[in-house]
Amino acid sequence: MKSLNPNRTRTSILALQVIMVGICMVVLGRAFFLQIVEYEIYEELGERNSIRQEYVDAARGLIFDRNGKLIVDNQPIYSITITPSSFQEENIPLLASLLQVSDSLVISRVKEAQKYSWYRTSKLLTDVDFSTFSLIQENIWRLPGVGHQIDSKRNYPLEMKASHILGYLREANERDYRNNDQLRLGDKIGKSGLELIYEDSLRGELGTNYLKVNALGQSLGNFTELREPEAPIQGDNILTTIDADLQLFSEKLMEGKTGAIVAMNPNTGAILALVSSPEYDVSRLAGRIDTKYWQEINSDTTKPLFNRAISSRQPPGSTFKPVMGIAGMHLGIVTPSTEIYNSGQYIRGRAYKDLADPGNYNMESAIAFSSNTYFFSLMDKIAMSGNLNNWSKLVKDFGLGVPNTIDLPSANPGIIPDSSYLDRHFGKRKWGLGDLINLGIGQGIISASPLQVAQMTSSIVNGGYKIEPYLVEAIEEANGRVVLKTPVREKISWVNDTYLETVKRGMRQVVLEGSGRFYANIPDISVAGKTGTAQNPHGYDHGWFTSFAPYENPEIVVTVFLENAGFASISAAPVASLVIEKYIKKEIERNYVYNYVLNFVPREANSDSEINE
Amino acid sequence: MFHEKQILILKSMNNFRDLHWPLAFTWLALAIIGLVAIYSATQGPVSEFLPSYIQNNFLKQLLWVAISIVLVIGVQFTSPRNYMQLSYLFYGMGLILMVLTLFIGTEINGAKSWIRIGPGRIQSSEIMKIATILATANYLTSRRDITAENIRYALIATFMILVPTTLVILQNDFGTAIVFLSLIPVMLFWSGLPYGVSLFIISPAIILYLSVFDWVYGVIASVVLSAVIFIIQKRAWLTVTSLVSGIITVVGVNLALTSILKPHQIARIKAFTNPEFDPTGAGWNVIQAKTAIGSGGLFGKGFLQGTQTQLRFLPEQWTDFVSCVIGEEFGFVGLSVLVFLFLFLFVQLLRMARNHNHPFAQLVTVSVASVLFIHFFINLGSATGILPVIGIPLPFVSYGGSAFLANSLMLAICLNMDFYKRDFSIYR
Repeated sequence: MKSLNPNRTRTSILALQVIMVGICMVVLGRAFFLQIVEYEIYEELGERNSIRQEYVDAARGLIFDRNGKLIVDNQPIYSITITPSSFQEENIPLLASLLQVSDSLVISRVKEAQKYSWYRTSKLLTDVDFSTFSLIQENIWRLPGVGHQIDSKRNYPLEMKASHILGYLREANERDYRNNDQLRLGDKIGKSGLELIYEDSLRGELGTNYLKVNALGQSLGNFTELREPEAPIQGDNILTTIDADLQLFSEKLMEGKTGAIVAMNPNTGAILALVSSPEYDVSRLAGRIDTKYWQEINSDTTKPLFNRAISSRQPPGSTFKPVMGIAGMHLGIVTPSTEIYNSGQYIRGRAYKDLADPGNYNMESAIAFSSNTYFFSLMDKIAMSGNLNNWSKLVKDFGLGVPNTIDLPSANPGIIPDSSYLDRHFGKRKWGLGDLINLGIGQGIISASPLQVAQMTSSIVNGGYKIEPYLVEAIEEANGRVVLKTPVREKISWVNDTYLETVKRGMRQVVLEGSGRFYANIPDISVAGKTGTAQNPHGYDHGWFTSFAPYENPEIVVTVFLENAGFASISAAPVASLVIEKYIKKEIERNYVYNYVLNFVPREANSDSEINE
Repeated sequence: MFHEKQILILKSMNNFRDLHWPLAFTWLALAIIGLVAIYSATQGPVSEFLPSYIQNNFLKQLLWVAISIVLVIGVQFTSPRNYMQLSYLFYGMGLILMVLTLFIGTEINGAKSWIRIGPGRIQSSEIMKIATILATANYLTSRRDITAENIRYALIATFMILVPTTLVILQNDFGTAIVFLSLIPVMLFWSGLPYGVSLFIISPAIILYLSVFDWVYGVIASVVLSAVIFIIQKRAWLTVTSLVSGIITVVGVNLALTSILKPHQIARIKAFTNPEFDPTGAGWNVIQAKTAIGSGGLFGKGFLQGTQTQLRFLPEQWTDFVSCVIGEEFGFVGLSVLVFLFLFLFVQLLRMARNHNHPFAQLVTVSVASVLFIHFFINLGSATGILPVIGIPLPFVSYGGSAFLANSLMLAICLNMDFYKRDFSIYR
């Protein structure tokens, strides 16, 4: 054995100690650098690692009727989601077979999701049934990037459809979600009706959940230690002016018919019922897109998606006569007692027919028995005295020919012509008196929607106030705050009560003695109204009936428009009278009228009922 | 023999104060830190993502610590001379075990290092570590003299180390191979190799490390190291050889990085110099380890509170990345305690070596200190991003029965030689 040099040993030990101390300090220094100097970088990295932000859908606001009856709520449904970045495309056949859909559907949905965002989660399929949902749940480990969630769809607990009021939801399109960071692919938004107009209120605000995830991406529940979840803000509830019972009743009356009913509170403009027939079934558009049904209602020739109550443009016919009379009186062309003789026709360049009994008519009786001559003559004089544009302005004060502010999309303003409109329509100075005389009886270049006719009627019966129709009384925010709607109610300055009383008396006579006496005269309820015909070159004429009750103190205006129904007095008038009866009496006592309406077949007037509309 | 044993037992009973208690307690402290970290890494909230055989690691480690304590105490009742006498036998048996492992071993994480014995598995390379240290130390200290001129002994000693090194490489365990290789300069240096030559031997490792970052660093290191070698040794040929080998290393590293190595190997090296290059692949371990430690901050997130640990972002968090668990949950304070305990252990071992009169005891103690130190440095260097990720456990702390037992046994031998240092001298 050799002995080591003690000096060398000491030096070597020292050298080794220095190296070891040095390296230990390097390690400690490195730890110091990572944990103290760069702490914030790594803290954030760690947090980002383990926390996943997830959006929580807000419950969409509920919709109630005027009596607090729930019209629309939400129902849970099962959805399958996809995150393209983690999804493996070779799993498409497996996924499609589990979902029981075609490969091509899954492929196209995956493509859409990829286009939307590679990293955000999209809905692949909504409203799958529970067994499919469970099947996916069981196989989720074979399908990275696929998830499932409980979602909701609109639910309509009442029997009524109200499709044209409520509207439907459809998946947000690319433009929708690019413009709104609250929307994700597969989210549904209101595309028509109240759902569209009140989309922002109903939608609410997305909440955010912070989930703890592990390195395998498995969610471990909420991560409340570091970040409080932000609860979604529930959508605002909407309290409508609709009377659900009246709406349902009105829908029943319209079954099998084409047309519209508008029932309105004449003093405020609050819509009590609004039916456009044919309807479509909003509940069939609520869940997963029912492509077949969607195509069906889109290609249907009766256009169930078209809201006839607010969007159709029809000549108001004789329903226009009361406003015509008011304008005539204001322009000083006639007084309530002015009499005009009807010989059976009005001759001015050509003969204009008048089916009312020959004889003298004043304003009241001209309305009551719908003498055309009186109003041809009136319009003639208005035009000849250079008052066409004044007339147009006066009529527009009753809501015709101008847009209204109803909270539904695509309301049509209709047409009340003035000279510049006629210049545009026919060419400058290429129109004449012959184009104007018909306007006196609501025919020719004049049109209005059923809603506008109801609005017009309201202004006549409410003492000459301009009102705006509306459907939403109040919006109840999630925090309990209720925002009330203030109805528009402006006195039309030039209208005085004499004008109104005169035409109202005439309208009451319509029901008591005129064309409305068969079906519109309800015992115990003083109904007043006016029939009208919109000429239809393709078949039976379209019938109008606009009415109000009680005569003394009107609570409701009901306007009915029936396409291809023939004479209004036997088609539209009974419908309107039933709506009034239902509203005021809550039940129908005139069952023969009810059955008559339900089994209504369009026909021409009986030879013995001399009706002039 | 019988008489000597009685004396030994009597001595151990009476003079227990001679035992190096601070070292023993440091060892125990590290074992406890290890148990705490392994508990967190396998029994904490993370356990729900772990298979049950890994969840059992804590209890298994507890059992191994208990066995080791008995063994360490038991070792104190043996004579240091036994190690010298039995060292070659031990070495031979170790080699046989290593070779057997190659054929009938169990593969874990790609390394075929385990052999089934009874109910448990033994990592043969850990046992071989002790055997190699004892045998090589015995061989070198029983020669008259070795210097750079008397190179034969040095070559034989190197060969004795290279044989198990090769077997470890064949077992596909490069981390342990590096530990074995690091024994060569330590052994040779301690047995008389001149400082300059020793530096020459370890210089390629330094140049290699720096060249990975940039070839310029490699060249600078070659020049500086050659200059230092010249200053120490004042031999022109050694200096020139050093410079040439240094440059060859730099060129070799660049060639390896550009054309020789396979893409996945290059990716692993790139992941070390720039982890963001492939954050979900090769860079994952580095990023997650650094994130775990860095996000621990000064005091850490608290026991069982580390998100990186408990959410399973760390790979091998009970073995190779156990220091990340400590760094994340106990912060800089926790890591400092760990580093200072190790530093105390190393310094005390070296002091122990200095106080030995017997060269065998000196060489064994220094080798043990060096082996433990290399483990410590590579493990913490990997976890903190100073070194590329080389899978190697942290002595006494990481989970692993064989490693804990072998490392404890090495320490026990050092304690034992220190305990009997007056009886175990060259004069007897």
